Amino acid sequence: MRSVGLRARVTTGFAVGALLLSAVMASVSYQLVSTSLIDEREKNAIRAAYVNAAVVSAGLAGGQRAGVESLWSLDTGSEREVLLRNDGAWFGRAADEGLTAAIPQKLQLRVEQGRPAVQRIRTDGVPAVVVAVPLSTSAAFYEIDSLRELDDNLRLLALVLTAVAIMTAVAGAALGWYAGRYVLRPLAVVAEAAHDIATGKLNARLDPAAEPDLARLTTSFNHMVDQLSARMQRDRRFAADVSHELRSPLQTLSAAVSVVTRRREHLDERTATALGLIADEITRFQALVHDLLELARSDQPAQRTPVDIADLARLTCRSRNVDDSIVQIEQGTPAMWLVDRRRIEQLLANLLDNAEKYGGGPIALRIGHVSDDSCFLEVDDDGPGVSAEDRDSIFDRFVRGRTANSRGAGDGTGLGLALVAQHAAAHGGHADILDRPGGGARFRAELKGCTP
Amino acid sequence: MTAVLVIEDDDRIRLALVLALEDEGYTVSGAATAEEGLVRQRREPADTVLVDLMLPGIDGFECIRQLRRDDDVPIVVVSARDDTHDIVAALEAGADDYVVKPVAVKELSARLRALRRRAQAAVTTEVPGLVFGDLTVRPEAGEVSVRGQQVPVTRTEFRLLCELAEHPGRVLSRQQLLQRVWEYETGDERLVDVHVGRLRNKIEDDSSDPRHLVTVRGLGYKLQR
Repeated sequence: MRSVGLRARVTTGFAVGALLLSAVMASVSYQLVSTSLIDEREKNAIRAAYVNAAVVSAGLAGGQRAGVESLWSLDTGSEREVLLRNDGAWFGRAADEGLTAAIPQKLQLRVEQGRPAVQRIRTDGVPAVVVAVPLSTSAAFYEIDSLRELDDNLRLLALVLTAVAIMTAVAGAALGWYAGRYVLRPLAVVAEAAHDIATGKLNARLDPAAEPDLARLTTSFNHMVDQLSARMQRDRRFAADVSHELRSPLQTLSAAVSVVTRRREHLDERTATALGLIADEITRFQALVHDLLELARSDQPAQRTPVDIADLARLTCRSRNVDDSIVQIEQGTPAMWLVDRRRIEQLLANLLDNAEKYGGGPIALRIGHVSDDSCFLEVDDDGPGVSAEDRDSIFDRFVRGRTANSRGAGDGTGLGLALVAQHAAAHGGHADILDRPGGGARFRAELKGCTP
Repeated sequence: MTAVLVIEDDDRIRLALVLALEDEGYTVSGAATAEEGLVRQRREPADTVLVDLMLPGIDGFECIRQLRRDDDVPIVVVSARDDTHDIVAALEAGADDYVVKPVAVKELSARLRALRRRAQAAVTTEVPGLVFGDLTVRPEAGEVSVRGQQVPVTRTEFRLLCELAEHPGRVLSRQQLLQRVWEYETGDERLVDVHVGRLRNKIEDDSSDPRHLVTVRGLGYKLQR
């Protein structure tokens, strides 16, 4: 599982924090406002109920009818309903069973015992306050005050507060995203420097004064690069020393053997055969030293220059005594490639040599391009192909094909295809082995960034 | 008979090279140090000098500089070092060619013959003076002059200049120049670049802003007025 990025975590943290804070603030505000509004409204309802109860009580003194009539004289507006209970019967201004049913039994009981009461209820889904005032032992006045408007207002308030909380969370996330970028900016500089170093620019360093809070990181980073570059310098010097130490005696051997070879006809057959062995092994030793040093230089970036690729391919064919008519250029392939001439020449030479040694000779060298950025070189042979179990290891060092010994072609270094893979990698690409339609092997090197 | 001087501190390498080159038909003499080689070259000049870079006392680079100060004898570096830095430094010091040890004697001999032909070709080409503004190249006389003032150039530099001068205003690629001047089928383009740099120092007023011998990015070089 891929772990969540630092910036995403910072953003999430900010968003959650902002949401929590704003949610708490919103709910506290809501509680305070709604409690105070409802309290106020209840007080008003009670005050109005007592005034109205006095009127009805006065009316009731003139008999039940006068009492009921007095209900009509009350100024209640549309939000309030008034009810009179006298001798166990309900009297209202409209016949509404629901209204009387909405008054809880316990409240009625309490009023019958002569005590006034206030209770919040719901009628038809709308919150309301019922205020009950006992008028006499047998009569009581009820006033139901609908809180519809207040309820609407509170709902609106809740909606607004929720919206504000969400907006605050979003703003928090945005702030987190920005802060993340701001905090990560110095790290982007580090990443860029690391990338420079990876591509071979070993003089890349960080400025310790640029970001005092990251001084430790920059110091360690610079120290690490210093160490790395010293190490690489040591390695390079070692490779140079080894090359010198091995090449010098090889020069003596090579020159001396050429002197003896020139006088070959004066030697008896056994000596001549032995001389041939020495000469061949010196040649192989030279190739080995050459290839090993080439591998040791693998860290060096490709020195790209414009190269006429078809020209180079034909030239390489001729240098290996291969007919250059095997070079085929696919349509639409750019003529000039931006590549390291020396490396590509060696890559082609090694593929041709490989085809010669194991595949009965190359039969095609194809040049083409896959996309604007990617080009390929392919060498086909007519040999037995490469078995599936050999394919994984064929580009490894010191791996020789199965047919090598049977053909007596022991003069390879075992490094040729490893170098092919390495040169392809130096050009941002890779080497592959495919089946050629109709049998034989097809070696393919894909290179990136070849077209200017 | 071509005389070759081998300046090489490793006794065995020197002896083997002397034997092998004598087999190829050269008259070869050896020197173990730069000092000895310089004295010998002054006393009885060879036609070509082979120099190793790692020498005790005066090193190969300084040896090339001192040889070059005296005359335009063709110099080939034969070194085990193949660092870009070393190759460029040796060419800038004045070497005409560079081969990395171990080099096959046949290959070395081919290099020497190419150098020899270069020296002769300059004398035999029958082309009248080629004028590029204040720069004049006279292939038949082997002379280069700037504003009438003769400029000393080595044979390889001269051959390179002639190739470019014979195609005025036309771009020659580094590979074309390598084939025509050094007779390499394919080779190290740094040879061309360093020689162009050396020529610029001699024929241009400001070698960092050349007027005559200009680089055509991605293609090669051309000579113009």
